[in-house]
Amino acid sequence: PETRAAARAQVRSGPAPITDVTKLCVCDLLVAQCDVNCCCDPDCSAAEFSLFTTCSVPTVTGDSRLCSQKAATYSLDVEANPPERVFKVIDQINPSVFCIHATNYKQALSFSSPEMPTSENFDQLLKRFGSATFSAEPDSWNKNTDAQSPSDANETYRYEYGVPIETVDAFVRLPSPVVSSWCSDANPAGFLVNQATKCTRSVSVEKCGNIQAVSMLFYINSSILAVNITVQSIVVQSLNGMRTLLDGSDVLRLPMILDELCINIVLGVSYHITYTDAGEIIEAGASFVLGAINREAHSIQQSFEISFTQVNTKPVPLSGNPGYVVGLPLRAGFRPQGYPFPVDILFAALVLNTNKYGQLTVLQSTSNQDCLAAQGARTPVLFGYNMISGCKLRITATMKCQPLTQTLLDLLKGQSFPEYVASFGNSQAQDVLDWVPITHLRTSEQVKSSCQIPVSLEIEVKWTKYGSLVNPQARIVNVTARITTTTLKQLPSGRGRTIPITNSVVFTDISSPAEPGYKAWPTINAKLPFDFFFPFV
Amino acid sequence: TSLLREVLNNSYQLSSVPLQILFYVNGIYYIFYFLATLAMIVYKSQVFSYPDDFLAPDLALLFIMAILEGLRLYLGSKGNLTEEEAPLGLSLVITVGSVILSVYFLVWQTYVLKADVIINAILLFTYGLESVLKVIAISAFVS
Repeated sequence: PETRAAARAQVRSGPAPITDVTKLCVCDLLVAQCDVNCCCDPDCSAAEFSLFTTCSVPTVTGDSRLCSQKAATYSLDVEANPPERVFKVIDQINPSVFCIHATNYKQALSFSSPEMPTSENFDQLLKRFGSATFSAEPDSWNKNTDAQSPSDANETYRYEYGVPIETVDAFVRLPSPVVSSWCSDANPAGFLVNQATKCTRSVSVEKCGNIQAVSMLFYINSSILAVNITVQSIVVQSLNGMRTLLDGSDVLRLPMILDELCINIVLGVSYHITYTDAGEIIEAGASFVLGAINREAHSIQQSFEISFTQVNTKPVPLSGNPGYVVGLPLRAGFRPQGYPFPVDILFAALVLNTNKYGQLTVLQSTSNQDCLAAQGARTPVLFGYNMISGCKLRITATMKCQPLTQTLLDLLKGQSFPEYVASFGNSQAQDVLDWVPITHLRTSEQVKSSCQIPVSLEIEVKWTKYGSLVNPQARIVNVTARITTTTLKQLPSGRGRTIPITNSVVFTDISSPAEPGYKAWPTINAKLPFDFFFPFV
Repeated sequence: TSLLREVLNNSYQLSSVPLQILFYVNGIYYIFYFLATLAMIVYKSQVFSYPDDFLAPDLALLFIMAILEGLRLYLGSKGNLTEEEAPLGLSLVITVGSVILSVYFLVWQTYVLKADVIINAILLFTYGLESVLKVIAISAFVS
């Protein structure tokens, strides 16, 4: 009753529309960019209007049922040279006798945005809308509906996935190649969208200080609303490609000419944005790679990257959610020493390192195939990809058994061979039961006595399909590392022998096959009527 | 002959013929007005967003107005024909209420369409004319 009285007390709102038609534009789809043939786009300049052929939106009106209303008309005047856009605001009259002359109900002429469910009003919304029927116009519509406008981009609005990140004047832009490989500065970066782009920029030593896009200032100039972009690190790349990390990274290095070279040219920028789970950006950092060009260079390749990290978390790349995705590396780790019962003990931070070479790796074959020369070259094991690699080891008479065995084991297993492999692509370190231990097996050709050297490491990963039939997820069930050894025969001095060392990974699908299910045989349900044997029963 | 004189010389008849004609026309027009307003309320509730909180008062006032109108026309007609000023005065008072209701439907209704404006304007004009004629008739009866 008091809401009704409040509604009655409102001044009669006549045909004045709720929204301003001069500011409304339905064809303005691209943010901060001019849309083609959109005559109402505020981002277009007069030069761009002269290139349009038609206006895709000729009039913008409010509710057409009103008797008299304002309409914004857009048209192109092709007679003028160059063609220009004509914008007029006219009064549109509805000739029908049933047009709305006035309303006393404020929400009549506009759609009211429904309430967004939050943790506070969820119960109340569930009570109202959770049953089979509900009233289309609840009493809460009588309150003031323009309390919250969605275009408010300040701290009350949370960033959502893909939304361009706003800066003071425009948006954070990541230069990227558009049609050709030349850089275009109009690509806005989306929130939580990790991007990496490479494009070509034309430069010359003469215009060293004039090209904005190769100077550090261009990339840290715009501040993301309240957050300034800080310089996290600067790496200087010399003309022959050698990179050195600079110590003091708070000094702004601008391009300048030195000895016929233009130095401090930006070759790469890597943005790191830190956000909270409320959807706010609290920190922004940029790491630069600066280089130099000489007189002959006409273009350079710039690479840009942007990545998002949630505050107080360490980013661990997932290999699938939840099942492993073919092609992503296997996640592996260790259990910290001294903790026999990993019930609620977190796996140590050294366990899940973001460096993918710390995961399960195999030997990487090199071109010269010499085991001892290829120390350290390893490639990560990718799910679903069977791999075999190897090298040749030259054994001479002077090699001793024990050091040779140790060297070969290090070669086959790598520096840090993990103990556990995650069964799902998104297994967390805290869930101990989600991790599968690696079983080690040793097979040897002959029975002891002589020296046994490992020559082959075969990793067999057994996985199964898990979950629903229509969307099965890959789950690792068992990982076995089998080391095959062979005897090292004593060689006469001066002679050498070459033995091949192999390292392989095999993925086996052990999903149980679908069993056919048959329908039960139909039974003949024949019963005699009750009084079949009438006279006798 | 006195009867003939009464018939021919209507100086004895104080009833206002224009007022009676106006009552008759008003009655017919009001039936049309009532049906038209009811139909338009039904139309508005289907086409526009018309919550129950706003629909109920509009319908209630329309029915009250119909009752008042019937009462008003009956009293006015009776007063005019029997040349008594009391029912005519009461009818004038009820006319004030009807005017207020008509202004409600012209200005304070939830949705005021152009057709609403037209029919309410005609109704208000009729009321105004009626009121003037009633005042003249009352003054003729009293004196």
